[in-house]
Amino acid sequence: MPEFKIQHVTKYTYDSPVRDSANQVILYPIQDDYQEVIKHDIKITGEPFVDVHIDYYGNEVGSFTHTESHTKLEISSKMLVITKHRMYPIDDMFADQQWSDLRLLNHQVPFIDFLRQEYFEGLDELKAIIESQKIANETPYQLAMRFCKYVYENFDYIKGVTTVETTLDEIWKIKAGVCQDFAHILMEMLRMVNIPARYVSGYICTSKATMRGEGATHAWAEAYIPNYGWLGLDPTNNIIANENHVRLAVGRNFSDCSPVKGVYKGAAGHTLEVAVSVGNPDDDHMEEYEHDIHHHDAPIPKPANVPKNSYRQYMEMMQQQQQQQQ
Amino acid sequence: MQESAYFTKYTPTPNTWDEMFGADAQIRDHYQKVIQYLGAESIEELNKKEDLAKRLFMSQGITFTVYSGDEGIEKIFPFDIIPRIITGDEWAFVEKGIKQRLEVLNLFLKDVYSNQFIIKDGIVPADIIYSCPHFLREMYNVKVPYDIYVHVAGIDLIRDYDGTFYVLEDNLRTPSGVSYMLENREITKRLFPDLLPQCGVRSVTEYPNILYKNLLSLSPRQIPNPTIVLLSPGIYNSAYFEHTTLARLMGVELVEGRDLVVDNHKVFMKTTTGLQQVDVIYRRVDDEFLDPLVFNPSSVLGVAGIMGAYRKGNVAIVNAIGNGVADDKAIYSYVPEMIKYYLNEEPILKNVPTYQLGNPEEAEYVFGNLNKMVVKRTNGSGGYGMLMGHAATQQEMDEYKAEIIKNPRDFIAQPTISLSAAPCYMQGKLTPRRIDLRPYALVGPDGIEIVPGGLTRVALREGSLVVNSSQGGGSKDTWVLI
Amino acid sequence: MLSRVASSLYWMSRYIERSDGLLRMLKINYASSQDTIQTFTWEPVIRIFAGLRNADEIAALGNDSRSVLKYMVLDRENPNSILNIITLARENARGVQELISKDLWQSLNEYYHTVRGQNIAFLLEKDDPITAMDILIKQGMLYYGTLEITMERGEGRGFINIGKFLERGIQSVDILDTKFGSIDDNPNLLTDTSYWKHLLLSLGGYEIYLKTYRQGFEAENVLEQVVLNNDFPRSVLYSVNHIQRYFDKLKHESNMPEFRDLSFLIGRLQSSIKYSSVKTIRQDGLHDYLTNIRSELFKIGDALNKHYFAYS
Repeated sequence: MPEFKIQHVTKYTYDSPVRDSANQVILYPIQDDYQEVIKHDIKITGEPFVDVHIDYYGNEVGSFTHTESHTKLEISSKMLVITKHRMYPIDDMFADQQWSDLRLLNHQVPFIDFLRQEYFEGLDELKAIIESQKIANETPYQLAMRFCKYVYENFDYIKGVTTVETTLDEIWKIKAGVCQDFAHILMEMLRMVNIPARYVSGYICTSKATMRGEGATHAWAEAYIPNYGWLGLDPTNNIIANENHVRLAVGRNFSDCSPVKGVYKGAAGHTLEVAVSVGNPDDDHMEEYEHDIHHHDAPIPKPANVPKNSYRQYMEMMQQQQQQQQ
Repeated sequence: MQESAYFTKYTPTPNTWDEMFGADAQIRDHYQKVIQYLGAESIEELNKKEDLAKRLFMSQGITFTVYSGDEGIEKIFPFDIIPRIITGDEWAFVEKGIKQRLEVLNLFLKDVYSNQFIIKDGIVPADIIYSCPHFLREMYNVKVPYDIYVHVAGIDLIRDYDGTFYVLEDNLRTPSGVSYMLENREITKRLFPDLLPQCGVRSVTEYPNILYKNLLSLSPRQIPNPTIVLLSPGIYNSAYFEHTTLARLMGVELVEGRDLVVDNHKVFMKTTTGLQQVDVIYRRVDDEFLDPLVFNPSSVLGVAGIMGAYRKGNVAIVNAIGNGVADDKAIYSYVPEMIKYYLNEEPILKNVPTYQLGNPEEAEYVFGNLNKMVVKRTNGSGGYGMLMGHAATQQEMDEYKAEIIKNPRDFIAQPTISLSAAPCYMQGKLTPRRIDLRPYALVGPDGIEIVPGGLTRVALREGSLVVNSSQGGGSKDTWVLI
Repeated sequence: MLSRVASSLYWMSRYIERSDGLLRMLKINYASSQDTIQTFTWEPVIRIFAGLRNADEIAALGNDSRSVLKYMVLDRENPNSILNIITLARENARGVQELISKDLWQSLNEYYHTVRGQNIAFLLEKDDPITAMDILIKQGMLYYGTLEITMERGEGRGFINIGKFLERGIQSVDILDTKFGSIDDNPNLLTDTSYWKHLLLSLGGYEIYLKTYRQGFEAENVLEQVVLNNDFPRSVLYSVNHIQRYFDKLKHESNMPEFRDLSFLIGRLQSSIKYSSVKTIRQDGLHDYLTNIRSELFKIGDALNKHYFAYS
């Protein structure tokens, strides 16, 4: 059984002091039959009290505040996780039977949420592609695998071309993105053919740095397969997500699972650095990967019609809420 | 009885319930005293009273702001001096009906945000709940004090041609207008001295005291003087006058989002002498803008982290977050079923028949009868974006239909209900105009209380069925007799 | 009291005080322009009250008195026009409406509607501009009277008065600095009686001057009165003494460190003015002396923002 020691550091550095920050973290590895959490610690600048609750999707969500004036915020999450290989679906039922089993889920909680199509401009185009590639008697499992491969082959993996705010429309247009974009497109395809699909955030852990999505938080999708349950599909690497994928959270989309997000007051922009390293627990050596660094400028206030003195401007700047999201 | 000229010309609208005139063209008993009083006044005197009313509203700044460009224009909400009168019996019926409805709507909210029995038992389809934008998954399993979600409700009632009361809308989020109920009464006291006690009109002044008592009872900290605040979006909000009025009448602090901060899952207000913990928030800011961390991240009207404080029970929020799932217009049509389901009772107040355009069969029926229908957006309010089939042109209907087809779930249709009429004083004579009624109900740990009265809105335009202030509506003082 | 409320009261008060100073200045300068045969220069007035504006915009006004008046009173693009200042004062009051007296709100409301009325525009453009100034100055006086009579004595009034005297102190310093600065360019002004007379008139200090100094107009006496005379309500010293007086009342056990911080700033400024004389001022150099006072006044404003209003 693979055992992973993972360290995930998120660091915000502000250009000038900020205050009144409220944050939410979804960094708690899921505990179930296939994933066991031996140890997990979260350390945060200023050591605030972190309140943890279970959200609608069953994820552990932590929230904390930092009201004092500060110039940096570091969230360091260290864990030791054991994963277990899960058998692949046997897939020996008639395709028709499986599809009609899926249809029964249409109006059922919680599947309604995982079947809702998000509208985007490429929808019709995507529909046509799906129609044209239809294969008779294909099972949901086979089709899901094929979609996963389709996304892998038709989208380019390019870091930095998209952000957490990039819409499906844009991703569809540039046919490129990172893991979360791949996952979103795959989910759209699965939902279109009535296979419930959900978003998963987590880490990809391999002994050699050969996989896409290492060194940062990773994301993939899960498809609901009759008689099996949720099957992890990683379209970024075109593989089934199994014992090398450590799961943090599931939801309808990225925003349900956003690993770290926050709001603060202050005029400052911020630099975000994220580093994820995975190591062998018996050995102190941690595989270090390149850091992801993003800089976010503070929005420039628009000149208003009503005149303002510098104090008012200052107040407005202080009021300006900034969002930080990983 | 002597009748002035302005009165003899009153012609009731055909096929419409007239609040003053009975079927036999006789003045109803409960209007007799007022009509006698008015009959003794000349047109000049009544015109003077009308002027006085306008002046009182203006000088007291009882206005709402309409924005055009960068300038705000302060307008008064038009006021008709003739009161709308409700008999003691009618009121008892309405009161009972609203209490039943609110009890059920609270049970429903508790249920959808926890066990979802009503979905499991197939009474309300899961799709309709899960597709409602106001069904907030963030509220799932959040415990609210005393299981009360709706603390303040403004349920809109109308009367069909035979006088039957119907519920048109359940407003369970941040219903407004209660300040007009209070101010209209104050104005009437000045316009018609001594008439209120002579007619046996019940008082509405208890409203702010009951609301305050209820807010106090929700304080999570058991301390002698918990801090209660009214959270307003600020001076640019059209209901800002109401916010200041209620804050003043309850003696609580009026705050804006920027006055508050969350520290370690507790809410504080920033004062000149430091932070002061806040226990209860009567908010007039919509869910979406309440917490930028959890909901709309660009909102500056709310407080980041307040949802966390609420979840932990460190602050009470009135009304609860997520109530929109219970007053959604598509879910509205299931309320009678909910009443049977939760209470095993027959609904006292009727629902207007409602067609879901999300349901293809019902949509087909609606499209075939569009000229007899009122079509509304399920998340709309204020009378915006409605289609009044009886008054629409073919082109308007076609355009609206195209909108519906894009997102059928967002629309419902109802047969045109005619709305009752009441006499209004217009240019020297009494003229019937359509009205509705919005009583304000307050729910606290001790039960549901409804001050006897409410806001009667009136469609001042002749023939109009739309009473919203944004669509040329006005208001009347609402009398409930003993 | 909510920090936002304190801040709104303080700014409402600063804006009204600013409008009063500006109107008096405009009124006297307009009157003085009628006495001048050569071109009258509005540049110093614009410099004091219009702030750092686009040079072209100011040049476009030329020295045409009516254009300048329209710009200073009614121009929407000029952030310090009376129209904009009063709008801001009213906006601040609107956000704290339930905390100020109804009478005070109504007086501000009336001031606002008066500035926006057609009468003022007509008087400024076509008729007698002095009448327009008088009408507006009187609105300000009504506000002050109403405030004095109806406003609850307490923390709120404290912030109102601190705002008022801080604004007044800054204005007096700015006016002096500009007026004495002009002398450097044009030494003839030093002996120009009407120059000093207009300065005193625009500060409402002409009559006090006549009673105090019997030997005619001298720059040093003017300086002494406007900086050091504690009986002259627009002097710098008077303003700072009053800031100190109202600030003392804000003492509260829960914010002692902040209180001491500000108290120190105010005390230091107060004594530095109190223990200076025309002679020491001259030794230091008037411009440096005034610059220092201005920066100290700004520091007090910043400290208020930090400790009492913004809470950061």
